[in-house]
Amino acid sequence: MVDSYKPATLKEALALRKQHDLIPLAGGTDLMVKYQSWSGTLPRFPKGALFISRLPELKGIEKRGESLIIGAGATLSDVAAFPDTPKVLRDAVLSIAAPGIRNIATLAGNICNASPAGDSICALYALDASVVLQRTGSERTVPVMKFITGPGKTVLEGDELVTAVIVLLEKANISIFKKVGTRKANALSKLSFSAVAEVKGGVIDGIALAFGAVGPTVVRSVELEKKCIGKKRSEIESNIEEIVRDYSTMIVPIDDQRSSAEYRKQVALNLLRNFLTEELAGGMR
Amino acid sequence: MSNKISTAVRRVDAVEKASGRARYISDYEFKGLLYARVLRSEKPRAKITGISKPDFPEGYYYIDGKDIPSEGRNNIQMIKDDWHVFAEGEVRYIGETIALVVGPDKEKVLQLLSEIRVSYKEEEPAYTIAEGLACKGGPLFGDDNIYGEYNLVKGNPEEAFKNAVKVVEGTYKTGFQEHLYMEPQGMVGTWEEGKLTIYASAQCPFYIRKSVAGVIGVDEKNIRIKQVTTGGAFGGKEHFPDVIATPLAVAVHKLKQPVELVFDRIEDISFTCKRHPSEITIKTALDKNNTILGMDIDTRINGGGYESSTLIVLQRALLHGLGVYNIPNAHVRGRAVATNTFPSDAYRGFGAPQGLFAIELHMSQVAREAGMLPADFKRKYFIKTGDMTVTNTTMKDVVKLEEMFKAADDMSDYSRKVKEYEHDPLKGIGISFVNHGGGFTGNGEQEIIKSVVKMKRTGEKKAALYVSNVEMGQGLQTVLRKIAAQELGLDYTDIDYDNPDTDIVPDSGPTVASRSTMVVGYLIQECAKKLKTRWDEGIGTETEHHYVHPPGLVWNQDTLQGDAYPSYGWGLNVVEVEMDPVTFEIKTTGIWTVFDVGIPMDDTIMAGQVSGGVIQALGYASMEKCEVLDGRFRQHTMADYVIPTSVDFPEVKNVFIENPYAYGPSGAKGAGELVFDAAAPAYADAVQQLTGRNIYEIPVTPEMVMGALK
Amino acid sequence: MKDIEFTLNGKKVHSAADPLKRLLDVLRDDFTETGVKEGCGEGECGACSVLMDGKLVNSCMVPIGAAEGCDIVTPEGLRETEKGKVIIESFADSGAVQCGFCTPGMMMAADALLEENSNPSEEEIREALSGNLCRCTGYDLIVKGVKDSATRGKKLW
Repeated sequence: MVDSYKPATLKEALALRKQHDLIPLAGGTDLMVKYQSWSGTLPRFPKGALFISRLPELKGIEKRGESLIIGAGATLSDVAAFPDTPKVLRDAVLSIAAPGIRNIATLAGNICNASPAGDSICALYALDASVVLQRTGSERTVPVMKFITGPGKTVLEGDELVTAVIVLLEKANISIFKKVGTRKANALSKLSFSAVAEVKGGVIDGIALAFGAVGPTVVRSVELEKKCIGKKRSEIESNIEEIVRDYSTMIVPIDDQRSSAEYRKQVALNLLRNFLTEELAGGMR
Repeated sequence: MSNKISTAVRRVDAVEKASGRARYISDYEFKGLLYARVLRSEKPRAKITGISKPDFPEGYYYIDGKDIPSEGRNNIQMIKDDWHVFAEGEVRYIGETIALVVGPDKEKVLQLLSEIRVSYKEEEPAYTIAEGLACKGGPLFGDDNIYGEYNLVKGNPEEAFKNAVKVVEGTYKTGFQEHLYMEPQGMVGTWEEGKLTIYASAQCPFYIRKSVAGVIGVDEKNIRIKQVTTGGAFGGKEHFPDVIATPLAVAVHKLKQPVELVFDRIEDISFTCKRHPSEITIKTALDKNNTILGMDIDTRINGGGYESSTLIVLQRALLHGLGVYNIPNAHVRGRAVATNTFPSDAYRGFGAPQGLFAIELHMSQVAREAGMLPADFKRKYFIKTGDMTVTNTTMKDVVKLEEMFKAADDMSDYSRKVKEYEHDPLKGIGISFVNHGGGFTGNGEQEIIKSVVKMKRTGEKKAALYVSNVEMGQGLQTVLRKIAAQELGLDYTDIDYDNPDTDIVPDSGPTVASRSTMVVGYLIQECAKKLKTRWDEGIGTETEHHYVHPPGLVWNQDTLQGDAYPSYGWGLNVVEVEMDPVTFEIKTTGIWTVFDVGIPMDDTIMAGQVSGGVIQALGYASMEKCEVLDGRFRQHTMADYVIPTSVDFPEVKNVFIENPYAYGPSGAKGAGELVFDAAAPAYADAVQQLTGRNIYEIPVTPEMVMGALK
Repeated sequence: MKDIEFTLNGKKVHSAADPLKRLLDVLRDDFTETGVKEGCGEGECGACSVLMDGKLVNSCMVPIGAAEGCDIVTPEGLRETEKGKVIIESFADSGAVQCGFCTPGMMMAADALLEENSNPSEEEIREALSGNLCRCTGYDLIVKGVKDSATRGKKLW
């Protein structure tokens, strides 16, 4: 048996986090499965849990200027229902599990779980989202892309808590999220793809492309994206095969119980090609 | 137009279940309950060289083969009795029961289990049919790993192939399928009034009683099995419950205390029987006009580590091997192969779905070789009343396949669409035709089961019926009441029919093989007629009725020749699909079905059977991948072994064609398995048309579609 | 640690359980709310669905510590309400119930949907039930049962 804590305030939570070696638990939907034991026995948490989902400071979602501040206690359903949530994130969140899970699972928890197949993470990469990490007396903001360092691995320190997720409100006029799951709903991802782009005067002003479940972390290349910036439709169209080739070297999926490496790679590239030829080109007309 | 009996009524169990009042095995409370957990083999094939155990505190027990009473046997009676209650020095699959750890506190039981060390001398395992046939690691069974082989010959197939101008060949493969009944397996054993009593989520109380009696070494009458509300079964609770009940019984016999053995879901998917994987090679000999001269069918199924009921499954696969077709010359061969996977066992259809998948897909492929559309070609070979079957007797059913095709065509617009989609790379429509023999194969009902049913007048306008058949979701408690009520002129709610208790009910046989409505329902009908004539003798009057084989049927179990089944249900499915060209994902856009189940016993209950069976089969066809990796099922969580959700398939549109059967109650025939048989080949046929490539395997995953299109 | 207090079907209750104990186990083992079923223990099947502060949740995924102060409604609670009665009657008449193991959870999902959308389309119903698996019915008659609930319970939601 381990000792768990239910702090009433964020301040108290941060103090407990510093004092004890604890696992922060927001929705708990990943942790409860991970540590599941025989029915009727306690889940086998290796350490005590720090319950944070009900902390009033972490509950809300608000639009602040050009940013959306999503509290670490906000559930996936909360995020999907918030009117200013960017489309790519809303679509990603609604593709996760089913209503009963989305009503408890949190966006911050999805990030901290750091699964390469985390559907919201794929969208957050494309949105240049950041997480706010607090410890008693200090705070730092880290881009999600830097926060996650490998499967299940993050830079979260033992005395820190993720308190919020910051999403820049997209200026994008093209926004796509596509999940290929093991079935049509309530499914885990074989792969996912997020794309946001801003087209101004027939020219690409900004673009971000992210691929989930095709590598140890979500795949995104700011460098390759830069090559597209300032390009007209005709220039993209004549370069499609080169862009696909460039991404092809970065997309290195594995075989597992859900799909094959070959399928993941080809479909990821098909989604990219389809985005470039259909959605992007369509948006540049 | 509808028969009176077909008119839907409210199911007797609906409100109790919907409100959460119905009690399943985990919902019961027992005083002083102990919890058991299985110590399982971690190796697929090995000799056990030693077992080291921690000291067990008082009240905790390690139960194994040594606890079997000296009068008993360490063998489970499931057709064949080769499967052991507890492993005997060797293990043949991962998950094999070595012992039970039993005690009052689950945490402590888990801790004790984790401290037990089993040492093994490992041997080389064989997992696939090919590895089994090659006797990889040395034979596991006999000298060739073949549990059994059968050969059915009709006409002169050798001559047919000699005269062939062209031979079309294909090998069709199906995988493991998990039943995924929503309620996992579970039982509680107790010692009540000096009697070993088991409360079970199960299909066949008397099967369990027989197995347990043999293991404990007592007369069957000294064992009592009480079926409790069962949350789905689909064949998974036919024989497999014996694998739970027997070690549990050994524990209860020793401890004389209540013990619970309920599986968690992951345990259930990992360590219970699945549908037999199959590989079926079919060769068809064609003449110069592309007319079929003959067929050669070679069926192999993976039986896993113990034979149990595998040969009966194989027989049914072969007996349905030619599907609904009159093929003049045929050789149907079948072999069941021993491997080191979890033993395969009963699953809705019991071998028939595998045989039917192969013949249906093959016939579509032969049609295309012959330059014809599948339905046009298949219809030329429909078996008719009086035609010879694969077991060299005449087809005695009235066959209404043409009428059924017309109904399906009207509903689905198949004939137009199939032409339209011929050159559409993103759309396809598939069709399949099946039949399914109702009841036990051959003379099983007469020679082995010998069902008895009983009825009793219990009030002014009340009666009770006593059978061993169970409600497991299919609606039996409502249907049998309707049958009895109709004869007695009572309302169906005036008939009592409790969950069977082997101390109370006669043995009317197991709840399997689409027999409960057709066979047991008929016995109830006849028993109720008797009770009606004696109704005036007053409250307490009892009548009994014994099974009598329908006249004119002949069967030889040694040669598998004669009337394999007293009657067949018939079905056809049309499935329409679309492909996403970017992701190769398939979307099903239409499902139309036509079934001949004699007379439907209840329109709503049968609609539920049809939708449920068809969607379960579409899961099998499209997404229910279950691979073996190093001897374990790779998809062993509900997250990875995926079954259809409410959004995966559209509504099933169905019509019934009435075709009463003289020896079914009010004309009913078997239906529960039939509704599963046709959807998988129809789905694969649709994907075949869409891709323009032959499909040989299910599940047809997007990964496979991508590969086919390469 | 203090007892955990929450509302169960309208009544304030306490639980002395470890905060990591699953809400599912607390409900079934400590409060004998056996209408809540365990089908998988991993949030996949929905048989353990309950309402938590009016929202559908899988009780196998909720540690009781996270339910502190919450309003929990189980099938035992819902069946006593007018809405629950309408759903049960509609399910029974539609043939939505077969083996019944998923049905109490389906009833919770139906109520949660109708609370948000009292006149759902077939597509919306199917989406709302997508976390509640059923192996018997193929879902068609459950969808019908929810549609029928919406019609019969027009003024309730």
